[in-house]
Amino acid sequence: MNLSRDENFNGQPAPRRAELRDFRDEDLIVMVQEGQKKAFDELVARYKGRLFSFILRMVKDPTLAEELTQETLIRVYIHAAKYREIAKFSTWVFTIATNLVRNKMRQRSRRPRIISLNPAPEDDEMPVDPADTTADPSEGIHREELAGIINEATSRIPEKYRIPFLLREVDQLSYEEIQQVTGLKLGTVRSRINRARNRFRQLIKPMLKNETLLQELEKIEARVAEEKDNDY
Amino acid sequence: MRCQKVREYISLEMDELLPPAVTGDVTSHLDSCADCRDYREDLLLGRRALEATTPELSENFEWKLQLKLNQALQQSAGQAVYPWDEADPDKWGWFRNFGAAAAVGMAAVLALAMFLGPVGGPGGGVNGSDELSPGVTLSTNGGPGSADRRPFLGGNFSGRGLYSPGIQRSVSAAGTIRSGGTVFDRGWSGRNVNDLVLINRLRNQNKRLSGMLFQQQQEIRAMRALLDTSDIKALNLEQE
Repeated sequence: MNLSRDENFNGQPAPRRAELRDFRDEDLIVMVQEGQKKAFDELVARYKGRLFSFILRMVKDPTLAEELTQETLIRVYIHAAKYREIAKFSTWVFTIATNLVRNKMRQRSRRPRIISLNPAPEDDEMPVDPADTTADPSEGIHREELAGIINEATSRIPEKYRIPFLLREVDQLSYEEIQQVTGLKLGTVRSRINRARNRFRQLIKPMLKNETLLQELEKIEARVAEEKDNDY
Repeated sequence: MRCQKVREYISLEMDELLPPAVTGDVTSHLDSCADCRDYREDLLLGRRALEATTPELSENFEWKLQLKLNQALQQSAGQAVYPWDEADPDKWGWFRNFGAAAAVGMAAVLALAMFLGPVGGPGGGVNGSDELSPGVTLSTNGGPGSADRRPFLGGNFSGRGLYSPGIQRSVSAAGTIRSGGTVFDRGWSGRNVNDLVLINRLRNQNKRLSGMLFQQQQEIRAMRALLDTSDIKALNLEQE
């Protein structure tokens, strides 16, 4: 993403995007504070997927999750000057995201659910998802089924357990970082993660008995590993 | 060690936070307890499943982000107060205030004038009658100042206005203008559209009649000049 022109960094030419990969998040946000837009691009590249993954598993709605991810990143940019390196950058970002998600979920719980009086659309009115002819169709179905089971199971974990659980499992935040994001005590974070893991295990039990889905999981893992090898 | 306690430690072990002092106890418990081994396997499988089903962002995510960011920056720029805004005083403020005060004053004077209505000059109106053209008679009541106020032809006119309070005028013109009726009680009130239409019509008529009068005067002058320059004496047909 090219936001706008890049100013010089302390009188020195701004580093190129590839060079920014070696910088820490905390260095990058300092560069953003000093007017380097490319540093923000790098932060977006690092965090967009993690944020989206966390937010989607909280709100379940992909469109809303994308909007909240964008909102989080916009707040990071606009309030970059407020960041002080007393906390890790990831903690700051996920605190913003968690607050946004909590507010949104509170709004949704207050709003009454609307039931449409219109009949369900006909088959020919449904949006068409063009099929990938090169891929095995059954593979996509299994993958979707797997993702559906995981998302459903995640959404059924109570919110107070789900936030620390996802911050740990999806975003790999440390317990101390989760403590800062959520404002909980360290012992509470530990116990909530433990309880959420146990609950998640109970919820995905049916999947664990399904051989096809387990095979699909192994296939996905193999493909991801292969992609990583190609990147290196 | 009890299974419940071991399962708490399993969660910590997954995050590499297990205290070294209990690592041996947990390992030995797992060797002997199949349920706890399965429990650990299930937790690890759940973690793998979460990682494998990482959702993907839409292709236009960054484009939308850029758009929203630009909008947010514009909004925040609009709300920002810059020091140079405060440092620069309003140099033309007094002029604007003066202009506004003058405009209000002018408006008030105009409103007053429209309310009271335009009438003849100071000192009263004209009493008399002017012969404009055959069929058109102009008669006015009022001071000398009202002689140039011919637009107000068209009936008996009695007005009391800004310039000459108490003036009574009557204007009548035969022909197209109905005579005899009182058109205005107190000059033009400015409240009736019909008044404006009538004024306009009378003004046009006045212009036309003035033109005719001027033309006739020119003709008379020309004829007199012809009479003066000719040496022909009036014929006395009886003498001849």
